Amino acid sequence: MEVNSNKWAMKKKLVIALALVLLVAVIGYMVVDLFFTDGGRNDNPFDYGLKDLRKSDSALLAYREIQHFSTGLSEVYGVAVDAHDRIVVAGANGVEIYSPEGVRFMLFPFDDTAYCLTITPDADLLLGMVDHVMIMNAEGEIVSRWKPENEGSVLTSVATNGTDVFVADAGTRIVYHYDMDGKLLNRIGEADSLQGIPGLVIPSPYFDVGIGRDDELWVVNSGRHLFEAFRPDGTLISTWGQSSMDVEGFCGCCNPSHFTLLKDGSFVTSEKGVERVKIYDPTGTFQCLVAAPDQFDEGTRGLDLAVDSQERIVVLDPWRNQVRIFVRNEKSNEE
Amino acid sequence: MEEKQKGKQKEKMVDRRTFIRTGVQVSIVVGLGGLTALVARRTGSGEYVWQLDPAKCTQCGRCATSCVKTPSAVKCVHVYAMCGYCDLCGGYFLPETKTLNTGAENQLCPTKAIKRTYIEDPFFEYTIDEELCIGCGKCVKGCGAFGNGSLQLQVRQNLCDNCNECSIARNCPSGAYSRIPAGRPYLLKGFGKEKLDIT
Repeated sequence: MEVNSNKWAMKKKLVIALALVLLVAVIGYMVVDLFFTDGGRNDNPFDYGLKDLRKSDSALLAYREIQHFSTGLSEVYGVAVDAHDRIVVAGANGVEIYSPEGVRFMLFPFDDTAYCLTITPDADLLLGMVDHVMIMNAEGEIVSRWKPENEGSVLTSVATNGTDVFVADAGTRIVYHYDMDGKLLNRIGEADSLQGIPGLVIPSPYFDVGIGRDDELWVVNSGRHLFEAFRPDGTLISTWGQSSMDVEGFCGCCNPSHFTLLKDGSFVTSEKGVERVKIYDPTGTFQCLVAAPDQFDEGTRGLDLAVDSQERIVVLDPWRNQVRIFVRNEKSNEE
Repeated sequence: MEEKQKGKQKEKMVDRRTFIRTGVQVSIVVGLGGLTALVARRTGSGEYVWQLDPAKCTQCGRCATSCVKTPSAVKCVHVYAMCGYCDLCGGYFLPETKTLNTGAENQLCPTKAIKRTYIEDPFFEYTIDEELCIGCGKCVKGCGAFGNGSLQLQVRQNLCDNCNECSIARNCPSGAYSRIPAGRPYLLKGFGKEKLDIT
């Protein structure tokens, strides 16, 4: 009889202990739920899903960032590399010249803003300003300057082969072809159904041009997500490009925003919206990623590009006001 | 004596033409004064309304869910001067859209409040049906990421109750809401003084 009553007392104690543990667990859960969670208040039921679009396959990334440095300009828009691998940055109130290691050794100040630049074979700086084109020599002296014909011009890119100057104007959606003295020779890219030229669609002020291996002019028709090659006389030679959110294509309303060319004629491109830098072979086939979207701040746009003699890819990041240098991974080189 | 009094009364009497002229002049003065007072009251420091700054807005979706009104008094406003009239509009199409047509399955807007109209190859115009718009900002996010940012959220003053304590302002994580003078009730982003709005 006594044994039974002891067993009952033991069971009672066990039940009470278990009930206490359960009570503590329930109270703990309620405290966490009340004070340490937002109850889903921060969830956006209308989320666009940009974060998912910014994900990329790391296996496609064939480059790594080896160096970056901040510029001394308040706003930066254009970058170029000269024959000695010196990095030239253009922006608000001046042009800066850096050594390949990122040490600034020259500044050419001016009151205006340079939105784009390139370097001529004579080592002069060809600059696209707010409303005019300017050529500056290596000492920072202005050699020549001229205004485009149209008042509504928005100069976004300049290119030269040493005898001709090509100026991309996002305002009139035309590439102006000048000689080195600023004499207008012809307009390139105007819609002409007889010549099979569909016309340039430039919805935003990102409109890049560059000179190819055979002196052909490459123009980004960003609204159609196409690269178009023209002869200096305006004849359309070829096109390539594909609209897609996938890594193989160009995304959004108008991309790529900038490009440069490697020695073998491959294209290095940069995009906005989904910020990424990629390489396409000369036929327009996607090769690899230089920089993935997660390497840039969300919302970054205007990533101008340049390549030095070592095929290092120089990326101008206007959001961070930095010059960022990428080199090919050794493993990718062996492949 | 009587003649003198009659003469004085005649002098005091105003003829009809003078009376009407004076009346019209007084009405004009009173009307202009009232209008000036009304304008001064609207534009002066006396009256303020709630508005959100598109430059601070992060399109978190709370404008759609926190407003005391259903649907929200916040609507998408299209600044046509900034629009690129793109065929592939980031504010209209879902990111993964393959075919650019007006099929419901391709549209980003949860209430299909954006109308796409063909202008000429390859340009399209996008207009907002404010009765359908719930102010979720999904299109604003897409346009800002891939386009020029011409789609922007704004409190529509004809719909807003102008509560003392705006519940959206209380919940806005980026502090984009503020009271602004009723005389200038909208805060729209534009190209600004700079010719090139790159930043």
